[in-house]
Amino acid sequence: MTKTSGRTDLLIALVLIVVAIAIPFQIDSRYVLGQIVLALFYACIASQWNLVFGFAGIFSLAPVAIFAVGGYATAMLCFFLGWSVWAALLPAALVAAVFSVLIGLACLRLTGVYVALLTLAVTQVMYLLIVTDTECFVQVGSVCRQLTGGPGGFSRFGDFGTRQLLKGDWMIGNYAIVCTLFVVIMVVTWVILKGPMGHAFRAIRDNPGYAVARGINRFRVQLLVFGLSAFLTGLAGGVYAAHFQVIGPTILQLPQLMFIIAIVVIGGTGTFWGPLVGTLVLMGADELMREVGEFRTLGLGLIIAASIVLLPNGLVGRFRDLMRYAGRNRSAGLKTSKDIQ
Amino acid sequence: MNTFYAVLVSGLTVGALYAIASIGLSLVWGALGVLNMAHGAMLTLGGYVAYGVITGLGLPVPLGIFASVAFGALAGGLIYVLIVRNVLRQAKADFEANVMIATVGAAIALENGILLVFGGQPLRQPVTVSGSFELGPLIVPWQNFIIMVAAVLAMAVIASLLNYTRMGRAIRATAQNRDAARLMGVAADRVYLIVLMLSGAVAGICGLLLSAMVQLSPSLGNDPMLKAFIMCVVAGLGSLPGAVLVSFGLALLEAWVQYQFGARWGFPLLLCAVVVVLIWRPSGLLGKTEVRRM
Amino acid sequence: MSAVLELEDVRSGYEGVEVLRGVSFSIEAGELVTVVGPNGHGKSTLLRTISGLVPLRGGEIRFEGRALDRHVHHTAARGLAHVPQGDMLFPQMSVHENLLMGAFLCSDSTELARRMDEVLTLLPKLAERRNQQVSTLSGGERRMVGIGRGLMMGGRLMMIDEPSLGLAPIVIEQIYEVIAQLGKSGRTILLIEENPARVADLADRLFLLDNGEFIWSGPPAELLASDELISAYLGG
Repeated sequence: MTKTSGRTDLLIALVLIVVAIAIPFQIDSRYVLGQIVLALFYACIASQWNLVFGFAGIFSLAPVAIFAVGGYATAMLCFFLGWSVWAALLPAALVAAVFSVLIGLACLRLTGVYVALLTLAVTQVMYLLIVTDTECFVQVGSVCRQLTGGPGGFSRFGDFGTRQLLKGDWMIGNYAIVCTLFVVIMVVTWVILKGPMGHAFRAIRDNPGYAVARGINRFRVQLLVFGLSAFLTGLAGGVYAAHFQVIGPTILQLPQLMFIIAIVVIGGTGTFWGPLVGTLVLMGADELMREVGEFRTLGLGLIIAASIVLLPNGLVGRFRDLMRYAGRNRSAGLKTSKDIQ
Repeated sequence: MNTFYAVLVSGLTVGALYAIASIGLSLVWGALGVLNMAHGAMLTLGGYVAYGVITGLGLPVPLGIFASVAFGALAGGLIYVLIVRNVLRQAKADFEANVMIATVGAAIALENGILLVFGGQPLRQPVTVSGSFELGPLIVPWQNFIIMVAAVLAMAVIASLLNYTRMGRAIRATAQNRDAARLMGVAADRVYLIVLMLSGAVAGICGLLLSAMVQLSPSLGNDPMLKAFIMCVVAGLGSLPGAVLVSFGLALLEAWVQYQFGARWGFPLLLCAVVVVLIWRPSGLLGKTEVRRM
Repeated sequence: MSAVLELEDVRSGYEGVEVLRGVSFSIEAGELVTVVGPNGHGKSTLLRTISGLVPLRGGEIRFEGRALDRHVHHTAARGLAHVPQGDMLFPQMSVHENLLMGAFLCSDSTELARRMDEVLTLLPKLAERRNQQVSTLSGGERRMVGIGRGLMMGGRLMMIDEPSLGLAPIVIEQIYEVIAQLGKSGRTILLIEENPARVADLADRLFLLDNGEFIWSGPPAELLASDELISAYLGG
């Protein structure tokens, strides 16, 4: 499934980069640009979850938890220790990676549903502990601030400095930063997949017995991908916190997690471009469903269920089937025309 | 000392609820090898259907109870026919994950449908009983007593269905060796449908009892479902007696921790318990020795 | 003489690998036919294809003159009892319940009691172990439960897959005594066995399956007399 040639990937990437550069020149609306930035965040988390689930075959439900750890760590470093956002990003991503590796150590020796349940429970526990946190950690003026930020979360802990620098065009600055983040994440993912680790993933997923016989240590490979993807997800979480200048427990809620999963499933699990396709489609559908506001979540649920049942390999998989079908027809067509000649 | 007994009563009541919630999950896991993530939404549905029939339509209480069972079974059947059956047919290796994702989709849709019909404000289940009675040092509210009795009754019904009927035997046979059951003439497809309907019916009852204790809200079933999952994993997925035992044990522990350290530490404790158990015994406390580990 | 089971050019296999490559034969009522051959050459696949556990890729399988459809649970209803390799029992059930599962399709209680009686007379050990959980039984006892469960199905053709597999010689003898009794009682039986010597006195006909094809058939004595066949295919 993953055998798109490097050249195709490069071509797609070039087109995308041109589009990405053109976007701020073509779109004036700050709202639309803001939605595109949001979509890029979703695409970042989705691509990393796809790496974990689609390629490495770990059914983890922790992606938003890891994202939140990255965001919270960034916010807390800035808020409590007064760091600048830029300085906090990488250490926070590291915290997310360590967090993820700890989860991995606890559950990666198990399979399938056990991993899913444990990681889901971790997410839920994080949410509950943050929301119910009422203990004062520091006193800011007359306001009491909890260690975890409590139900309100953290805000006003600093930003990228794009507002001072670009004034009214600050959104374009942030857009550039998030775009860069997305490109870095995609490139790293691509390198991982084309390298020896990508081969190990494929072996483990397709034939675990064979992989073990070839000396691939499943546990170690999975732990590594757990840590790596968490670093990138955490980095995205930090950038997210800095972009919105707020991070709160709502990102840990189930619908957020489902949105990420839906993106990957609809785009095509285990395909490189699937998460991006899924993000475009779902964000588009979401915008359209804004008209019928109250039915949005209902629609999202039905879309997820229907796409698992009707699109087993996602849109990218369906597109490939179509291409292959067209290719076969074309070659068949050529043969007949040759026969006629 | 009074608080000890209060914790005991509330722990046992919650335990009874967890037990029937985990039975529903465990049934499906045992027979089909998949987790139905819509189980929580089915619990919620049970509670709301009873509310709608009794308060909304003004019909008698037994009819409300019947309706929540019937709607639960219907929801279970639909989830099988529309989702689970089709995903199993795709014959892909990661069907476990796909069923989970698809049923979460169904759960979100169902939960939101309930929200649209009944609104998000908490509602009071009409089938509540006030008052309490004393039993030695115990002060048992009638409400809790009825919930416990009903839960035990539900468990007894399921146990005898599974143990003493032809269909029950077919369900257990399919869970233990699917191909052998098919060779004996058991239509696996039909067994799966029945299992999901049974699990839905149990979820309906459980949701009704649950909503009689706390208030009705569209997310009513989510928390109990996740906890029921934890119970099932600690017990060993698919082991029904284990699920019941662990449910009571962990519910008592949770009640005690919540009393000692505050309500917010109940869930983290359960999570720690499951992590410890899984590291120590990866197939659960009472699971089969066959380890689901690679 | 009417054919109970007929196979015509049957092909089947698993993902990408063809295991049976055109197998044809038929069994008459009351016959005990044995398929012998080296391991991994499709003996079990043959039975699994007949009962539908392995999809049919080509050819036709007829039971009592009518084609078998490809639903596994329909073969039992048609009157075909498959005692699979490795028993495939229901481990968490008692011996009694396992036997009852064999008669899953039998809704007549007097008929059920008759079959139960017959099985327990033939396999008295099972009466002793009636309420014991199957997972606690010895290998030989499990094999008997498997055969008993197959008998409970009340089929008109019984397919038994390597009843000697993994058992001690003395236990194998006991199991084959039971099969001999079944053969004498006039049942139609299709038996899989690796070692032709074991079925020499038992089988009416023998088929030698090699690499997914029947390469020889005839009376057991003839095969055992041919050193050439034995050494080439059965490593004897």
